[in-house]
Amino acid sequence: MGQLNVAVIIKLEPDFSEGNVSYNPDGTLNRAETKNTLGPHSGIAAHAAFFAKVMYDAKVSIGTMGPPIADLALQQAQQISDAEELHLYSDRLFAGADTLGTAEVLKTGIHKMKEKMDIVFSGHRASDGETGQTGPQTAWKLGFTFLGNVVSYTVDMETRTIRAKRLISLQGTPDVLEEIEAPLPVFISIDPTYKSSFDKVSQRLAFQKYKKEAEKRADNYKDYFTMFNADEIGVAKSLVGLPGSPTIVYKVERVPKSTATRKAEVIDGSDPEAIRKAVGKMKEALDAMVIK
Amino acid sequence: MVEKYRHLYVVVEIQNGKLIPISKEMIGEARRLMDGFNQKYSSDEKVVAIVLGSDIKDLSKELIESGADAVIYCDNPQLEEVTNIIYTKVICQIAINKKIGGQIESKYAQDFKRPRYMFFAADSIGRHLSSTVLAGLNSGLASDINQLVIEDIEMSHQQKTAGKKEIYEKTLEMYRPDFSGFLWTTILCLDNRNPAFKRDYHPQACSIIPGVFEPRKPDSTREGKIIEFIPRIDQRDLKVKILSRKVIESTVDFETPRTIVSFGRGIKEEPEENIKLVEQLAKELNAEVGITLPISKKPYPISSRLDEKYMIPDRVIGTSGHKTSAMLYVAAGVSGAMQHVWGMKDSGFVVAINPDENSPIKDECDIFIKGRMEDVIPLLIEEIKKQIQIVETV
Repeated sequence: MGQLNVAVIIKLEPDFSEGNVSYNPDGTLNRAETKNTLGPHSGIAAHAAFFAKVMYDAKVSIGTMGPPIADLALQQAQQISDAEELHLYSDRLFAGADTLGTAEVLKTGIHKMKEKMDIVFSGHRASDGETGQTGPQTAWKLGFTFLGNVVSYTVDMETRTIRAKRLISLQGTPDVLEEIEAPLPVFISIDPTYKSSFDKVSQRLAFQKYKKEAEKRADNYKDYFTMFNADEIGVAKSLVGLPGSPTIVYKVERVPKSTATRKAEVIDGSDPEAIRKAVGKMKEALDAMVIK
Repeated sequence: MVEKYRHLYVVVEIQNGKLIPISKEMIGEARRLMDGFNQKYSSDEKVVAIVLGSDIKDLSKELIESGADAVIYCDNPQLEEVTNIIYTKVICQIAINKKIGGQIESKYAQDFKRPRYMFFAADSIGRHLSSTVLAGLNSGLASDINQLVIEDIEMSHQQKTAGKKEIYEKTLEMYRPDFSGFLWTTILCLDNRNPAFKRDYHPQACSIIPGVFEPRKPDSTREGKIIEFIPRIDQRDLKVKILSRKVIESTVDFETPRTIVSFGRGIKEEPEENIKLVEQLAKELNAEVGITLPISKKPYPISSRLDEKYMIPDRVIGTSGHKTSAMLYVAAGVSGAMQHVWGMKDSGFVVAINPDENSPIKDECDIFIKGRMEDVIPLLIEEIKKQIQIVETV
């Protein structure tokens, strides 16, 4: 039957939770004041990998490209997934990469992992402006079948095939839940609504066991951690960082204030008489409502 | 001059044999852009629609009426269902096919290498498809775009031009709003002219947010070329089997209710209590509850009942979610970021509750109630109870 090997690619992102996130007075993100953490979608991908650990006793590896402080994200993802291999791809040469340049690094890194992967997971997208392109582009470079928007999956270890449910939302049509089957290896970008569930007692016991193991491993995450620079993973320098990136950010500007579409009547919210009048106008707007 | 990159290819999407709205929106925007382009550069580059599927030839006429100059179609039962790998390969084959370039326009048949620009839809299919196609073509992609401009850009860039000043002609400026809706990032896809890393990056591609651009009025007098493409299909690329498809009904309904009450980051001081207030207000008005995009990222710890009910992507009003034309729209603690405004601006009557009179929402509402939602909503509820009784209509 053979071992099941899974990898997760993750990202260190600004922490949008209250108390950690900071906005400038104009409503934009204050990056300097905002703390960093494992991206929430990366966290969901790590949960999906832990599902494979519990159900199929999979071996989990995690990779990320980022600055040296991104080891924090690896540790957090290890705590979720009980990974036994943590890779950080970090080099000045990687800086400024767009998704294509990033995917090249991640693909090369995944090839560098100890095992030949059966499933690679990524989050749906990053929260801070990244676009959900890195996952599918890494999949393409790996030559893996890409499955997007996956909300649940099971693996048939005998036939080495995966069954997955995908949530497809298209404008103007109702959402569709599609069930698909594909031979391994596959690349899965996990839907934000993904949730693991463990129905059998044996699964819950395995869950508990590996959860404890994961905590322990994360406490000593350095034992599982390797940092690679460009030479160490052996990427072609023309394919990563700025040279390997077709796109650049040309400018960032405040969205120009659009011309007012309505002329607002400003009222004082603490004045009951003003509120009474406002409700009167709301009532007029709703012609199907009737007065008592 | 040799023009190896020509035309704008638009990958359209269909569902149950019909074009979905974004397809005609993309064609409409492509037409507008290329009309301007052809005038500006005295050129004659085309809007080319690409459509894949089974039994889809008849859609070609509709695409031409919507603004396309040419349609490339692949009619094949094996393309009936969209699976990423086979769609990616077929679209890449089309993009680099010289013969097709010659069929679109015989004059440049010899020189044609690839399309100049490419459009995809920013939805569950197009987002991933655009990523893999552009990885396959080794060129650049900008996602979730809501404004497009073509310009000659003079720039010097440390890497792209080795610091030298260069003019990039006919460059597609691709604008994408950031998650907050207050910043606009312009992405460019540029050839590397740096001698150390010389490489062409074409096509310049993007995925477009559904609902942003207007489709054109169909013009039945328009004519265009209809080109069939017979793809090479490797059986190994057909290994993904679709076992079942189930339509799911949304639990959130922004169509039926006449009133929508939305909340945004203004709940932050007392998230739990404020969401309960919004809930009560919505109940009094028989309204559905909407949220802004940042709320769907769950920035505040609240009870799981409220979290699972309200802080979900399905409730987002705006370009990342739904568009409404409710008769009454109440925006509580909503600042009025561009993406949100797009989703609510067609509402009949808009009431905003916000302590900050400088919030952009003030320009988008009919009544601006200045104050914190925790103070204003209880007064509103009390008054609504006195004045309004909702009659359920069937």
